[in-house]
Amino acid sequence: MTEANALCDEIRSDNAEGDAPTGLSRRGAIRNVVAGLGLGALPAIAFGDPALRPTRGRRRQRPVVVPRFGATDPALLALINRATMGFSRAAYDEAESMGYEIWLEWQLDHENIDDSAWEAQLATYLFDTLTMTSQQIFNTYGEMDGIIVQQLVRATILRHAFSRKQLFERMVEFWTDHFNIEILDGQCRRLKTADDRDVIRANALGTFPALLSASAHSGAMLFYLDNYTNIVGHAQENYARELMELHTMGVDGGYSQNDVEEVARCFTGWNFWNQGSGQFGNFRFISGQHDNGVKTVLGNVINAGGVADGDAVVNILAYHPSTARFIAWKLCKRFIGYNPPEDMVETVKQTYLDTGGDIKSMLRVILHSTVMQYLTTPKFKRPLHLMTSVLRATGATVTQARYVQNESLSMGQAPFYWSPPDGYPDSIETWGATLLPRWDFGWSVFNSATSVTIDTVGLLNSEGGNVPGQQAAAINRILTGGALPVGEVAEIQDYYDGAPAGSALRDAFTLGASVPGYQWY
Amino acid sequence: MLHNERECRGCREYQELSRRGFLGTAGAATLTAFATPAWLPRISLAGSFQTRDTLVVVFLRGGMDGLTSIVPYGDPNYNQALRPTLWVPPPGGANTAVDLDGFFGLAPAMGSLLPAYQSGQLLAIHATGSPDPNRSHFDSNKIMEYGTPLQEQILFTGWLARHLQTMPPMGTGPLRAVAFNDLIPIMLVGAPATVPIPDPVEFGFPGSVATAAARRAVVDATYGVAPEPLAGTALSTTATIDLLATIDFENYTPSGGAVYPATPFGDALKSAAALIKADVGVEAATIDKGGWDTHNQQGVFAGDMFTLMTDLANGLAAFHTDMQSHMDSMTAMVMSEFGRRVDENGSFGTDHGHGNAMLLMGGHVNGGQVMANWTGGQLLHPDNLYAGDSLDVTTDYRDVVAEVVSKRLNNPDVNSLFPNYTPTFQGVATV
Repeated sequence: MTEANALCDEIRSDNAEGDAPTGLSRRGAIRNVVAGLGLGALPAIAFGDPALRPTRGRRRQRPVVVPRFGATDPALLALINRATMGFSRAAYDEAESMGYEIWLEWQLDHENIDDSAWEAQLATYLFDTLTMTSQQIFNTYGEMDGIIVQQLVRATILRHAFSRKQLFERMVEFWTDHFNIEILDGQCRRLKTADDRDVIRANALGTFPALLSASAHSGAMLFYLDNYTNIVGHAQENYARELMELHTMGVDGGYSQNDVEEVARCFTGWNFWNQGSGQFGNFRFISGQHDNGVKTVLGNVINAGGVADGDAVVNILAYHPSTARFIAWKLCKRFIGYNPPEDMVETVKQTYLDTGGDIKSMLRVILHSTVMQYLTTPKFKRPLHLMTSVLRATGATVTQARYVQNESLSMGQAPFYWSPPDGYPDSIETWGATLLPRWDFGWSVFNSATSVTIDTVGLLNSEGGNVPGQQAAAINRILTGGALPVGEVAEIQDYYDGAPAGSALRDAFTLGASVPGYQWY
Repeated sequence: MLHNERECRGCREYQELSRRGFLGTAGAATLTAFATPAWLPRISLAGSFQTRDTLVVVFLRGGMDGLTSIVPYGDPNYNQALRPTLWVPPPGGANTAVDLDGFFGLAPAMGSLLPAYQSGQLLAIHATGSPDPNRSHFDSNKIMEYGTPLQEQILFTGWLARHLQTMPPMGTGPLRAVAFNDLIPIMLVGAPATVPIPDPVEFGFPGSVATAAARRAVVDATYGVAPEPLAGTALSTTATIDLLATIDFENYTPSGGAVYPATPFGDALKSAAALIKADVGVEAATIDKGGWDTHNQQGVFAGDMFTLMTDLANGLAAFHTDMQSHMDSMTAMVMSEFGRRVDENGSFGTDHGHGNAMLLMGGHVNGGQVMANWTGGQLLHPDNLYAGDSLDVTTDYRDVVAEVVSKRLNNPDVNSLFPNYTPTFQGVATV
């Protein structure tokens, strides 16, 4: 038995057999993962080295005074970087004390994470629309839709940054992109809040078929992709096309223009209740607008009639192998790298098919220590990720919530502002083309005391950085766990040593957030 | 995948080309060589870049009421019964149309554009727009700016971006297109060497001036050895910062006594003028001017639309005066996502309609006329209305854009600009 398999057995033993979410042997999945990374021969060697061995169950004495040496466990550091909205010392230490697998399971079981401290904090911002139905939102704010948008945008950024349910927030961000809805698009101003809560957040770590079905019935989605104008005799293909191209099968998933037209027919009459109905935004099937003729979608004859036609399409698409592959590829791309290994995608696809699209099961495969251990390609933080990273790493307190919205707008990635239905891109080409807004943010976040407070002195002291020549190293540990390139740390230290005392520390933090090394994760 | 469409190869190639070019010729010079105190660049990078027109696109967001800005007073169906409070009477006296050609006139608030029109450098095109029936701002913006019908939107790049992608850079400067906005508009999505510059005066290295040079030295040093694309982007960014720093936007003095309105729109046009005159290779600039969604209390002779039109016309008039020395090498285009309903609604405004007016300004536009296929002078006759309630589109906006891009921006392949559409030139410009 190889070390890797031993590890897998060890993991399996954490859960009772019956708890395994799938019929798929976890060990088989992991073996495939390792093979998929082209690392089949490596684990036995690597795991033989205690320094590289995952730290499951290991508890370390926390040094009290002695400067810390940063994040020492590469797999754990990769996990924190990929599974959260940004490294923080607190999150790393928490994971280190729990152990890799326990932390991951704790994050996956998000409903049982005690997030009460953050929720109490969130309550102080008085975002009263977050828990309202769309009807209540309309009744309360009517045409004053700017307030509704503001509350959701600001709450989203703050939740991303400060909720303890970090993997959950990562997945909320992922699905928000996947099922993109532009909040400024007409009724979406009033409807996206319910979509965010009842579709995205309710299913972010559930199953993809349930998420897909919820999205298909969402008032915001029905408006955004125009299905509310999809009427028998005047079929509107917009939703049908994006449903297959962007939400499920992928553009190369093997559907035809005829399939698009047939799917559009299946969704005729899918609408939402209007503002005077008392149930504004709720799903409404208007049978008089539905095309009850026989349709054929991907070779399946659909003749259920009524609302069942659309539900049948959702069902076909949700369990289609192309969908499994598309979702697997996209998840791998988000968590592993821009060009994830083909075998890895196949393994996750198989997990999807074996588990009925169970999102947690796929994440267990993707975020397994054997995968995180050998990540080779860094990813470029999107602007929102950069912002949450700084807020998290520095333990910032946002006293003016408008600040985070304004900064996200300045950097070009305010939540829900992306207009086309493909969601904010997850690509270096897009975001690597604009740097000045990042540098502006790096300055702003450490120099906007009336909006966001960061105790730079306290942070430095906590990392033993109040020693000549050690400030930049401490900042590196605070921001990244010690991952910045040596040259960048040296440049920051040089700056610090020659800078005016009044601003040296804040400037050094600014530079820490601005240098290339901090833009990757 | 869609994002792959966005990350087109041509775009990257030209970005690289542009960066290499800049590195080779001007990278070292930029930081040190600018010394003379003038608003113009203190060094000419490589002689004039001006081998084709610079395009300025003004997009009027919200659906401008073209039946008010360019009044078809000669159409007998345009009358007070149609528009009780919004009707602009034929020329003659106060609060009447400013005559252009005996059929069309300018709204009084647009009267400052008459000299430009009379000079032959301002062209109005009426009953134009997208033939797409969509009346959503959101969708119509996309349809117009992506340049593809909604159902066929597989190319998530803007038409202006595709032009820039398919053309080699006009010069070796770091900046090919500018959006005078926080973010680039859809028409520029995917464009190479394009930077949103909400205010060129503010486009500087952030933070305290006292420490900026030292902090920037850290940025330069660390990004200088960073992997691409970061190294290249950092160079473009700092080069643009340096480039803009050589142009004293704050003390820029317009020519010919031109006075820009003290509004965001006036400021943006003034910045565009300074940038074009600086001759640093900028090929396109876009300016968004919002507020045209006049459902309520539209206000033709005073009020909302009056203020908007006054700002628009005074800004364009000042730009026309200021840019006289550059009229041979620039074209400005004014457009909106759709026009408004022909009849006034119950709240003294107008609802979303269809056809609209466009403006072109430049030394090589066939100005001094209003081009319109007006169906026997009665395009507003109930039988001729689009969907029974709106001005029809008798000239596809893509014909206008493609002709400008072909004749003035020298793009030999305008068919690639608008997929599945073959434009028909209408004679809006000369080569």
